[in-house]
Amino acid sequence: MRFYLIPLAAAAIPLVANPYTQFMVNLMLVYILVAVGFNLVLGNLGQLAFANTALFGIGAYTAAMLMAHAGWPFWLVILPAGLAGAAAGFLASVTALRGIRVYYLAIVTLAFGELLRWSYIHGERVTGGTDGLAVPRADFFGIALDSETARFYVFLLIVTVLVKAVSNLLRSRIGRAIVAIRDNELATASLAIPTGRYIVLAFALSGFVVGIAGSLFAVLIGRVIPESFGLIELILHFAMVLVGGLGSLFGSVLGAVALTALPEFFRRFPGMYEMFFGALLIVFLLAQPRGLAALAARWWPQLRDRYYRDR
Amino acid sequence: MFALQLALSGLAQGAIYALVALSMCVVYRATTIVNFGHGDLVMAGAFVVYLLAVLAGLPFLAAATLAVVLLFILGLLIEIGLIERIKAGPHIGFALMCIAFGYLLRGIARAVWGREVLPMPSVFNFPPVFLGELVITADALVIFAAVGLLLAAFFAVFYRSSAGRVMQALCQSERGAALVGINVRAFHGVMWGVGAALGAVGGVLLAPITLLHPGLGASFLIKGFAAMTLGGFGSFGGAVLGGLILGVAEQLVGGYVSTKLIDITAYLVIILVLALRPNGLFGRAIAEKV
Repeated sequence: MRFYLIPLAAAAIPLVANPYTQFMVNLMLVYILVAVGFNLVLGNLGQLAFANTALFGIGAYTAAMLMAHAGWPFWLVILPAGLAGAAAGFLASVTALRGIRVYYLAIVTLAFGELLRWSYIHGERVTGGTDGLAVPRADFFGIALDSETARFYVFLLIVTVLVKAVSNLLRSRIGRAIVAIRDNELATASLAIPTGRYIVLAFALSGFVVGIAGSLFAVLIGRVIPESFGLIELILHFAMVLVGGLGSLFGSVLGAVALTALPEFFRRFPGMYEMFFGALLIVFLLAQPRGLAALAARWWPQLRDRYYRDR
Repeated sequence: MFALQLALSGLAQGAIYALVALSMCVVYRATTIVNFGHGDLVMAGAFVVYLLAVLAGLPFLAAATLAVVLLFILGLLIEIGLIERIKAGPHIGFALMCIAFGYLLRGIARAVWGREVLPMPSVFNFPPVFLGELVITADALVIFAAVGLLLAAFFAVFYRSSAGRVMQALCQSERGAALVGINVRAFHGVMWGVGAALGAVGGVLLAPITLLHPGLGASFLIKGFAAMTLGGFGSFGGAVLGGLILGVAEQLVGGYVSTKLIDITAYLVIILVLALRPNGLFGRAIAEKV
């Protein structure tokens, strides 16, 4: 039950927020899903992957295209966006199961992400090319999502359900297999766990969560453009998971909340954004490789990551 | 004739890819770390040479030499200051560290240059060579000569000299090499330096023939990977051949299908090779763990 205290407390935010801070809080909710989904692959599976922005983008584009071209309401496109993300996660990981897995998976996901971005730019007819695609007014079971507050409550509901689902998943047979593969793939395989299948499954599950994050992002921003899902965005995703704490679910939430607002500060100075996040990653890797979650766990031992073993 | 001309300009591009792939391979073989920030080292090489040659007014050859030396030192410092420090952690930390310093370098380049795209004035002004109807531009000639010499020197050192034998021993077994008194840590630092310097040569050769922008590194990273994958991951000769093939393939695809596809040829190569021949064209089958 303690899990639900956080969203319950968060439900009071609109009482004190102005529209801009409310927008930022909504963006934080989107990035919580992004980080939680990415953490499944990067932290829990321990697999380097670059496809996260691609999964995010495919969710956003699926939602935007279904809403703009097919006229579907928002609530109906959430699941397809997640499924499209899952399919992309499956595709990005399945080819790499042949070959030297560790690096090939990373490289294929890098190529996959750029390939998708290329197709957004050149698929003008359906994606709007570099100008992007405007997202029509969103509607959640009859409630018009035209204010930040309305979006907040819908997003909060979706994020709470998904984060709880991931939390349960990590404690299930699947989650334990995924973490076991990170710690020792050979030993895991010797327990008759088909590691290849679990790796693909982890990518697909991660894609599902991140794809749904993409659909929320599309509705929140109101326009999807290829630039939103490029390498600039990727470092933000990496930073959220790492700063929060690799492998820690709570850490990912913390990382997303801590970093979402930062890119705004760097918009006016070219290069500052990349320098800051590059340096931030370096500092955390050197000084606090287990992230903010490990720091928080010092004062609040219940938060300690039960799936991590120091090596 | 058209095809031959395309192939020729592809070979010049491919020679640079070959160099980039080889330099990534050096770091990978020596340290088992795949450097995901390598493209940004190539970009840094190109930018340093631009800075020295165009803004500081040094002669091109001096600027190029200085850029390569500076990048060697940068590579060494990255190994000592960043990579060595996180040895105790999980292996994924190395890759994240490489990504992080890559972004840092890119950010520095962007902060210095802003959002402009910089053309570097042409350096090699001697006339092109005509072979029948084929034209070999001065830039291509310089690239062929420089890459050819460098590759010859690299392979001679690696396979023939006693320093090369030490390197080979280390590539085969670090523990074994340490047991016979080879300084493994110094070797790692030097190989990072060599990798960065070789990549910088790629950047230096690239600077006069392309538009410079800080995002350059990302595409070279992927092209280097494509070349390595094509040639067999971790094989020096394979990386070189893979780079040449990729360069030619890009030009042929651009000339006969669509120029839009040049950008994604490398991605398609990676995905196709892994789907059809995961060990690459020249790679030996590596026993798969699990």
